[in-house]
Order: sequence, then C-alpha cells, then structure tokens
Amino acid sequence: MSFEQSHAPSRRSFLGLTAAGSLAVLLSSCAVDPKTLEADPAAGTATSAAIVEGGTLRLAFTSDVYGNLDPNQNFWIESRSINRNLVDSLTDQDPKTGEIVPWLATKWEVAPDAKSYTFDLRDDVTFSDGTKFDATAVKTALDGIKALGAKASLGATYISGYAGTTVLSPTRVRVDFSTPNAAFLQATATTTLGILSPASYSKTPEARAKGDYVGSGPFTLTEYVQQQSIKLAKRADYAWGSGINANTGAAHIDALEVTFIPEEGVLTGSLTSGQIDVAWPRTPLSEAAQTSVKAAGATVLSAVLPGLTYNIIPNVNGILGDPAVRQALQKALDRAEWASTVFYDGYPVAKSVIDSTTPQWADNSSLLEHDPTGAKALLDQAGWVAGSDGTRSKDGKPLSLTLVVGGPWAGWDLVQSQLGEVGITLVQRVVTPAEFTTASNSGDFDLTATYFTRGDADILRTYYDQSVVKPGTGPGAYNQEPQTAAQLTTLFAQEISETDPVKRKAVFADIQKILISSGALFPLQDRVQTAATAATVHDLKFTLESFLRLNDVWISK
Amino acid sequence: MTARYVAGRIGQAVVVLWAAYTVTFVVLYLLPSDPVSILVDTAGGAKGAASAAQVAAIKAEYGFDRPVPVQYVTMLGAALTGDLGRSVSLGTPVSTLLEENLPSTLALAVVAIAITVVAGLVLAFVATYVRRPWLRTLLERVPALGVSFPTFFIGLLLLQVFSFNLRLFPATGSQGLSSLALPAVTMAIPAAGMLAQVLVRGLSDTLGEAYVTTAHAKGLHRLVVHGKHALRNAALPALTILGVLVGSAVTASIVAETIFSRAGLGRLTQQAVLAQDIPLVMGIVVVAAAAFVLVNLVVDLIYPLLDPRVVVSRLAVRAA
Repeated sequence: MSFEQSHAPSRRSFLGLTAAGSLAVLLSSCAVDPKTLEADPAAGTATSAAIVEGGTLRLAFTSDVYGNLDPNQNFWIESRSINRNLVDSLTDQDPKTGEIVPWLATKWEVAPDAKSYTFDLRDDVTFSDGTKFDATAVKTALDGIKALGAKASLGATYISGYAGTTVLSPTRVRVDFSTPNAAFLQATATTTLGILSPASYSKTPEARAKGDYVGSGPFTLTEYVQQQSIKLAKRADYAWGSGINANTGAAHIDALEVTFIPEEGVLTGSLTSGQIDVAWPRTPLSEAAQTSVKAAGATVLSAVLPGLTYNIIPNVNGILGDPAVRQALQKALDRAEWASTVFYDGYPVAKSVIDSTTPQWADNSSLLEHDPTGAKALLDQAGWVAGSDGTRSKDGKPLSLTLVVGGPWAGWDLVQSQLGEVGITLVQRVVTPAEFTTASNSGDFDLTATYFTRGDADILRTYYDQSVVKPGTGPGAYNQEPQTAAQLTTLFAQEISETDPVKRKAVFADIQKILISSGALFPLQDRVQTAATAATVHDLKFTLESFLRLNDVWISK
Repeated sequence: MTARYVAGRIGQAVVVLWAAYTVTFVVLYLLPSDPVSILVDTAGGAKGAASAAQVAAIKAEYGFDRPVPVQYVTMLGAALTGDLGRSVSLGTPVSTLLEENLPSTLALAVVAIAITVVAGLVLAFVATYVRRPWLRTLLERVPALGVSFPTFFIGLLLLQVFSFNLRLFPATGSQGLSSLALPAVTMAIPAAGMLAQVLVRGLSDTLGEAYVTTAHAKGLHRLVVHGKHALRNAALPALTILGVLVGSAVTASIVAETIFSRAGLGRLTQQAVLAQDIPLVMGIVVVAAAAFVLVNLVVDLIYPLLDPRVVVSRLAVRAA
C-alpha cells in the first residue's frame, strides 16, 4: 500500500547532501530550544574525574504496555527507552539541536529527489553475538522491518515507499524508495529502525518481541519477564557510541534493573525510600510528587517530547463543520491556565501543533491566544445565540460537542469549563481504550485527542495527511474540510520530497499555520517527560525523542 | 448416595464453568472493537501504515477472520484439550501466562485468606466474649470499619507507614515472603471485617439459644461453651462467606497487585480486559470460575461435618 502520492521530483538541483553539509545547514537553521535536561542544576554536569565505575541502576517505569521489546515492532516510550540502550542506529539525533549526526554510519548522501540514501558504515562494530556489523546487516534489518508488515505499525511509516536496499560494498549501502521520503534520515536515528543482527531476523516476530534478538548497543538483555522485570548488563567491549555522548565507550554502570510501578505515589515513595534509583513515570510527575521527591534529595529531570503536541482533534462532519465554531473553540481555550492548573507552574504552554523540541517547530502562539470575547463575537455572528443559561443554540440545535476520551481526567473538566465560558457545551464520553480505538478511527466523535512522539515533523503527515489517513484508520481522516485537505496534501507532498532542511522547515511552517488557522487541530499542551533520580545518580540523559540514554550515567557511592 | 451427590455437584460445576466461558465469549464479541485493531493502533489513533490487508493477515493468524460461531466452537474445543490459545496483546500462549502468574496470586490469596480467617475469628470471638458493654460495642464496630475502608486506601496507608517510613517491607515486587505481607494484609482487612461481621451476628444469636444456657447450667467453662458449642453453629453462615471470599480472591487481587506492583492474575486480568485480549480474558475466566466452583464445592461438603442437621439432600436442593 502506498502512502505518498506520486508527484513531481524535487525542483532543486544540488546532489548528494553530505553529512557535514546537512549539519551546517541544520545548525544555521534550527531554532530549537535547547532541551531543559536538568530542572535542578545541582545534578548532572559532573566532571569526568569524579565518575565512579560500576553499580546497578534500579529504574521503575509505570507500565510495560504490550510487553513487546522488539525495537522494530514497539512504539511505547518505555520499551523504546530500553531499546535505545540495546541497539544502535545508523545515525543519531542531537538532543540540543535536532541535527542528524553519524553513528553506525559515518557519512551519507541523500539523492535530490529524496528517493535514495547512500550510507558509509563503520568497520569496527560487532553485534553482541560476535557477528560483524556491515552493509548486509543493514539490508537484512530494513528488509526485516518491511517484512513485519502491520506488526511494525510505526516502522512502516518510517520506511514508507521502501523499494529495497543494495549492498554496494561491505561498508557502503544504498536504500531506495519508490516515492520520496525526506524524513527517512531522521528515521534512521530512531530505535524503531534500530539495526538488529542478521540472525535475529530469522526468529519469529513473537520471539523477538520477548527479547530474543541481538543488537550492537552498549548493553545486552539478560532477563525479560513481560510486565514484571527487565535486566540489562553492560557490554565491556562497546566502543562506538555516537558523538552526542560524553562517553562513547563501555557504560559506567554494570547493569540496569527495571521494574514497573503503576501508581505514582508508590513510584515516588519507592524512590524516596531508596528502593529504586530512578522513577520514570508515563505522565509528568505532579507538583506534589515533585515536591516530595525533591525534599528527599532527589532531582527531577524533564524534557519536552518532540512530535505531536497533545492536540484536540475535531470531526468536521458535525457541528464542527461550521468554521466559526472551530475558530471560537480555538480562542476559548486558555492554554496558559491549562498548563499551570493541570500540571504545574512553568509547564510549557503549547505554541503549535508540534512540540517545541521538534526540529521543524514554528512559534504560532499569536494564533493560539486566549480570547473569550472574540470567541463569543464569532459565535454570535454565526447565529449561535446564547440562551438564558448561557448555552448557545442555532435554529433550535444546541451547541453541544461530544468529546471521546479513553479515560477520565481532570484536564477534560477544565476544557469543559473553558468552553462553557463562551457558551459551548462539552459532553465527555469516557470509553475503554478498546472502544476509544473504534470510535476515533471511525469518526464517531465531535472531538477527541491525539499525540505521538517523533523527532521530525513528518509525524504530522502520518497523522493528518488525508492522502495517508483514510476513514476508518484514524481521527485525522475527519478533521479537515476538502479545500484544507487538498492544500495540506500538496504541502505534505512537498515536505516529504524536500531534502534541504531549511526549505523543508519553511513548508512545515505553512503546514502548522494552516492546521491551526483552519481549526483542524486545537493544541492543548507540549508533552513533557519527567524522571526523578536519586542523589546518587549522575548524568542520566535523554535522547532527542526524550528516551533514556545510559551511556554517560554513573552512580556515586 | 454421597457418591451420587458428589457426581451431581461436579456435573453442576462443569455447567457453571461452561456458562462462565460462554457468557464471557459473548460479552467480548459484543464489544465494538477487536484486539488486533487495538494492537496495530499506535497511540492516539493513527493506524500507521498498517494496510487493511496486513491487518487482515494478523486477524487470520489468530483466527478472528472466521464466523463467530466457528470461533466459539474452535476455541471451546481447543480449551477442552488444554489449549487456551495465544494472547493477542502479549503474543504469549495463555497457558504460559497463567503458569507464570498463577503461583504468585495463589500465594497471595492463601496468605490473605489465612490472615482473614485468624483475624476474623479472633475479633468476633473477643467481641462477643468480653463482658464490659462499652468494650463489646467498640469491638463489634471494628469489622464495619474494616469493610468500609477502600482497599486502595488501606494499601497506600500500609505502604506509607511500613515501607516508605519504617522500611520494614518492600513496596513492590513479588520476590520472597516479605513482599507478600503488605498486599496480603491489604486484601485481608476488608475480608476479615466481613467475616467478623457475620460471625459476630452468628455468635450473638447462638449465645441466646436454649442449648447454650443448658451448657452453662451443666457447669461448663464459659470459654468451652463459647468456643466449642456456640462457635460451631455460628460458623455455618461464616463458612459460606469465606467460600465467596476465597472464590473472589482473583478479583480482590487486582487492586492489591496494582498498588504493590506485583505480578499476578489480578494485574494480568486488568491488562487483558483493557486490551480486549479475548483468548487471555477467556483463560483467566476459566481459572477464576474453576476456583470459585471448587471452593464452593468444598464448602458444601464441609457443611454436614459441622452441622449434622444439614443433610446432603437438602444441600442438593440448595445448590440447585
């Protein structure tokens, strides 16, 4: 199944964007805010002289959703965080700038039509089973991901249009696409396209999901019991970390032990009582939890996850087909109040439909201002008249919208009250996760919500390009009027064939503006990953996509 | 006579098991989604690049493409031969998951029930034995307190005090006896409260009966009358409650296992239901229903031993 429309090849003429070239361009163009890696300056920034070798880091996640440890198959933050330390990727992405830097590939060339990528590979890398990493391994991996089909539901979007891989020499490999895929370079930096050993791909997808595979990362998997525990041990002969890490050699810690603690209070209590070293919750630690762990000497790290902001998404086939209602809704949301009330003071306020750490992010805060007066005026003009109780209706039809959500949340009550202030009635329909999938995919909603993590704005195309998302496959099939959809499809076709990061970013600036001004998306909040670390833990790092990175971490006695 | 009774009860047990299996199947298939769609759905709703054909291939792998009655007959047939299928969300055979999770829940349930019985019995006994009216009233109110507190609250309270502050027990995990203590007590508090309530009522009633007065008149020690004569009769309704408590241990373990991050059937159940993992939910239902049926059978068989007035034939009517 093809996801991109075929379209005219790239208009630009320059050939072979080298790694160095792309770096320079990216560096000069990226307006990405440096990630707030350390909320508390006391931790981190340790001098190498003080580093202590050894020790076991005990970390707890919230849950092990789907219990799938295969990087090529899974798409949850927790499993991707573990994968990042087990498998290496062709490239890496700088958390500070979003630039793509060498890792298993030393340099690369991108064809101007974004349909062909040639990588030069390191010659000194081995998988933990002793097999040498080479061009054939890259081919086996990419072919293997393609072969997973629907089981690689995320990876399939990263390699959309994949035609095949050609081994040019043991250290040189070319990846071809039938349709342009300008987002592929960033995709090679993800765990999703992490390279497993060739032998791993002879195992069944189910076996790989349980950890029966081998990577070339700084750690190896020693134990995995689904939803109970994960244990990693360091690889003493590791010597090919990417330049992003202070430590490109073997890890400082000997081992990682992971458990799963679903309750926030239990998670932070376990940290403050010394039963774990790192608490890595799924949702940001609440203000109360942060206060309690800080009081016990722990540090709270946080990073904005790149990708989709937490967006409310409309269905334009109902009342929200009226553009005035969508505009009014956009103005009625008070995002600053949302951030400080639902989360805590200082929590980042959404300024676009993608998070501020996404390399192609553009500040659209002027389009997202809280303006209840303007919202009311728009509704009045459109004929939605306020009744005696303040709720609006038009020709006897009440202005009532149904929000379908997968669970109850205080945040939705706040949205309800913010919309209520301008006379829009919001009805919350809380359903099970299973029903949520059906309702959101089939368009059975006025409003619902989406988010997803990716260090490239192409995630917008995956979710909201109506030449990709068809009715029945996602809520993005219902949120645009035909003329907006046509406009966006044209722009998405441009970005996916644009190999110049500056020009591509400009296209994404238009896309973001249109998604907001047409009322196709109502951004609520940037998404934040928090992690609380005990006082003994130093230099715990996030990847650009805010996953766990253990190369530099060390434990003091 | 007794053999026929036992055979009849086992027959009933089989019918109950089958009914539980079938009702669960029907309910799961009435839900508006299917586990494969949930599986390939990345967070928030985009299907990613999973084409209809690819999704259909996965559905066929699990047999979800066949007509529902065919699926039912196939699943039931396989279940009868011990094959419970493969979990859709976890990709693991259901029997393996049950083997991995059952021992931990079983250990938790056994310890929790032991605490329940001891605590319930002692509390009820003391509450009805003491003579000071104020103390008696106070002790009789205690079980209501235990029943009223939500398990969730009890668990968090115990954690805060005994794990985070005193650091006597681990907060999470399923390794060793020490990890059993807090979750077992959490489960036992409401259960013991319920048991004690019934027992207090039973003892109070029994102590007013003529045969107790007779026993006292014969000069028997108060402790003997209370503990032997009265308790034996008062225990009958409590035994029924205990049967229910044991049978519902899997349900009770959901909260305890979630708070204490323990591996077990309770946590597995919650996960399976949320993911609409049909084979896994069916497997758990079979186990839970079997436990319920077995315990109730045992309770019914113990009844006549405690109270000779209860005869097997009456039981058969009651059970039907």
